[in-house]
Amino acid sequence: MTQLILYNVFNGLIVGAFYALMALGLSLILNLSGVINFAHGGFLAVGAYLAFALIPYLGFWGALVISPLLTALFGLVIERLLIRRLYGRDPLYSLLLTFGLAFMLEDGTRFIWGPQTLPFSIPDSLSSPLSSSFFFLTGYRLFMVLLVTAAVIALFLILSYTRLGVRIRAGTLDLETVSVLGVNVRILRSLNFGLGIYLAGLAGVLAAGMLGLQPTIGSDLIMPSFVAIIIGGLGSLPGTLVGGLLIGVASGVVTVWFPSASEAMIYVMMGLVLLVRPRGLFGEEGRF
Amino acid sequence: MSLLQVEHVSKHFGSLIAVNDVSMTVEAGQLRAVIGPNGAGKTTFFNLISGFLRPSSGRIIFDGEDVTALLPARRVWRGIARTFQVTEVFPELSVRQNLRIPVEVASGYRLRPWLSRSADAKVAAHVAELLEMGGLADKADRLVGELSHGDQRATEIVMALALNPRLLLLDEPTAGMGDQETYAITQLIRRLHKDGKLTIVLIEHDMRVVFHLADRITVLDQGSFLAEGTPQEIAANEAVQTAYLGQAA
Amino acid sequence: MKDGPQDYPKYVGAAVIWLALLSMPFWINRVGGYTQLGTEVLVMALAATALNFLLGFTGVLSFGHAAYFGLGVYGAGLTIKYLLPSTLAGMAVGVLTAVVAAAIIGLLIVHLRGIYFAMVTIAFGQVFYFIAFRWNNVTGGDDGLSNWSRQPIDFGFARLDILHSPVTFYYFVLFFFAVAVAIMAALLRSPFGRTLLAIRENERRTRFLGVPVDRHIWLSWLISCTFVGLAGTLYALLNNFADPHTLYWEQSGVFVIMAVLGGMRSFWGPLIGAAIYVVLQDYVSTMTQNWMSFIGLFFVLVVLFFPRGVLGIIRRKVVP
Repeated sequence: MTQLILYNVFNGLIVGAFYALMALGLSLILNLSGVINFAHGGFLAVGAYLAFALIPYLGFWGALVISPLLTALFGLVIERLLIRRLYGRDPLYSLLLTFGLAFMLEDGTRFIWGPQTLPFSIPDSLSSPLSSSFFFLTGYRLFMVLLVTAAVIALFLILSYTRLGVRIRAGTLDLETVSVLGVNVRILRSLNFGLGIYLAGLAGVLAAGMLGLQPTIGSDLIMPSFVAIIIGGLGSLPGTLVGGLLIGVASGVVTVWFPSASEAMIYVMMGLVLLVRPRGLFGEEGRF
Repeated sequence: MSLLQVEHVSKHFGSLIAVNDVSMTVEAGQLRAVIGPNGAGKTTFFNLISGFLRPSSGRIIFDGEDVTALLPARRVWRGIARTFQVTEVFPELSVRQNLRIPVEVASGYRLRPWLSRSADAKVAAHVAELLEMGGLADKADRLVGELSHGDQRATEIVMALALNPRLLLLDEPTAGMGDQETYAITQLIRRLHKDGKLTIVLIEHDMRVVFHLADRITVLDQGSFLAEGTPQEIAANEAVQTAYLGQAA
Repeated sequence: MKDGPQDYPKYVGAAVIWLALLSMPFWINRVGGYTQLGTEVLVMALAATALNFLLGFTGVLSFGHAAYFGLGVYGAGLTIKYLLPSTLAGMAVGVLTAVVAAAIIGLLIVHLRGIYFAMVTIAFGQVFYFIAFRWNNVTGGDDGLSNWSRQPIDFGFARLDILHSPVTFYYFVLFFFAVAVAIMAALLRSPFGRTLLAIRENERRTRFLGVPVDRHIWLSWLISCTFVGLAGTLYALLNNFADPHTLYWEQSGVFVIMAVLGGMRSFWGPLIGAAIYVVLQDYVSTMTQNWMSFIGLFFVLVVLFFPRGVLGIIRRKVVP
């Protein structure tokens, strides 16, 4: 029993790490540009399939580095061509546009690579269990947790110490002042969007190794990411991180007793948080 | 008994103290102006009275009842109506509709899915009266968003009147207006005060307007109470002069 | 309020629409359609009009209306299959389920605004999807709820065979559509409806006119969800099937795009949008496997080129 619970908690932590990685990207874009990027799951799928296509040439490690970068580049192009036109307009329009993009990206991957689940090979060095008594603790899972942790730490370091990061945070608080101070808001938003999409691409590569590769890989992950942001509190990146891990672990634990309620669980949690603390766990009052 | 008693209210935003321990008593039928240099906390003070913000400490008593914790809508039901510094109207609705909404709310019809003919006629008559009062009768069916700044402001003021308020709060009613429009709005306020016997508290920058209208003046400076008195007393008050000159220098 | 000559085009438009709807079974086959397609247009139009009551006339951005549509679908289907083989009972239960869920969730979210409101409504919608998806010994799970059908309605003196006659069923749906639309139109012209317009135009001003804004938004949300639920029950009856995808978040987006495509600021806009969408989808899905890409592209094009919607553009041209 203990092992079962432990297994599910650990599993929940991994799933939560995905949610968090995806939700952090969504949050970045939402906070600075006021766009709910429905297509985030689509970008995640693009990252996963690009890695699949690159592995024969670059190997797993090469794909892990290159695929998220290419995804981010693709995101920058989309931002430049489509999303940029909608900044400052009724959020309804960016919501609908990214909604349509989500459809196109999912169907596009299906068109190119087919609807079936594809095998996604991970290096042998990562795929064997580390210990026989904790059979679930494969090297890949441990590696994923470490990588997500590293990515999150890197993100917070970028936001705290680089010029770009400081500007993104300042822009999130008061975009007008930042633009008056001579920062090019257009470029800032583009780079920020690219950063968010990079995280989606990274999550995509990792998710493919864990869940297998299929076109719906992104749309399955996007709703929990929304919930993670709401529970953590809109506007707060640490909140988003905590929210993601929390719902991952919670649904993992619930799986032990009521496996069929594991998905619904996170929405119940969201309801409770909204009831007790409408702005979310870490949200500031008065924003959004 | 006084209509409005503001007792030692303060408002903090984090470490910033916007209003610091200010008290004010307004008698029924009075026209009180609140003045002060930029950043004196006038608008915050106003927002505390109307319920837009809740004070960090202190009490607000309206007509003998403590309204400090009441939500804006409930303060309106008690008889406190306000206008905003930046004109707040319904730009894509006609003047007539803009006035109809508060008239219906004040008549207790806000949840009605339909109106009887007689109720509808009563509402229409009240709206016509208000249109006349604001000098808007000939523009009744135009969209408010298309009107001049002065007419939009007049619409906003009569919208507040449609609520049958016992206390009217006007936040810089002549802000951003030319001489002609300022004069018209000043006359409208004067009529409401002298003929309508309405109690009014207003914030104003234009000293000609203040000294023309006010019975008593309260002066704030940097969030704190500075002085109170008749227009003559305030004009002669040295502390007030220093506050204004200090800002100019 | 009195109507002036400026309202005449509106009356002409409404008359044309009602005439077209009343006569649809007589001409739809001749233009390459079929009666069920016309019925589907009506059902989707009802859902989109109900959503637009909230979206276009109260200014509240709900992106989760599929939940209440789907609750109508499953409420009707489950009732007819397991409890009582009666069309009207199924509809009653379906609508009631949607109303109760909307009332409770509404209380949690009415104080939220803008994108926050949108996100929370999207997310909440998913709860019901997962329930329908997981509880498969009752709901049929991913396969949906089948092996039941709408039942003829017996009034004692007359019998309405909506099961075997698609035309009779069309008029049955048109009746509910007309009643629902008439109620919404009347509400929008009432004092209550004017407070909703006021909230859309300027929430702060409305609050300081003594309107408890949150409560009015809650009511508007409830009215909107009620009629979306009604549309859901009709959709279930149309297909004799309850599909879990009616609860999925994609369906919510479809309702919104219908309202936007037709024109959010026009009462009849969502009807036009629903007609275009349903016909287009019917056409595209027979032409290609990749209809999702087309629908997605369609969303993008609508946002970029028709943000005011069809009726919005026409109104602009008529009234410059």
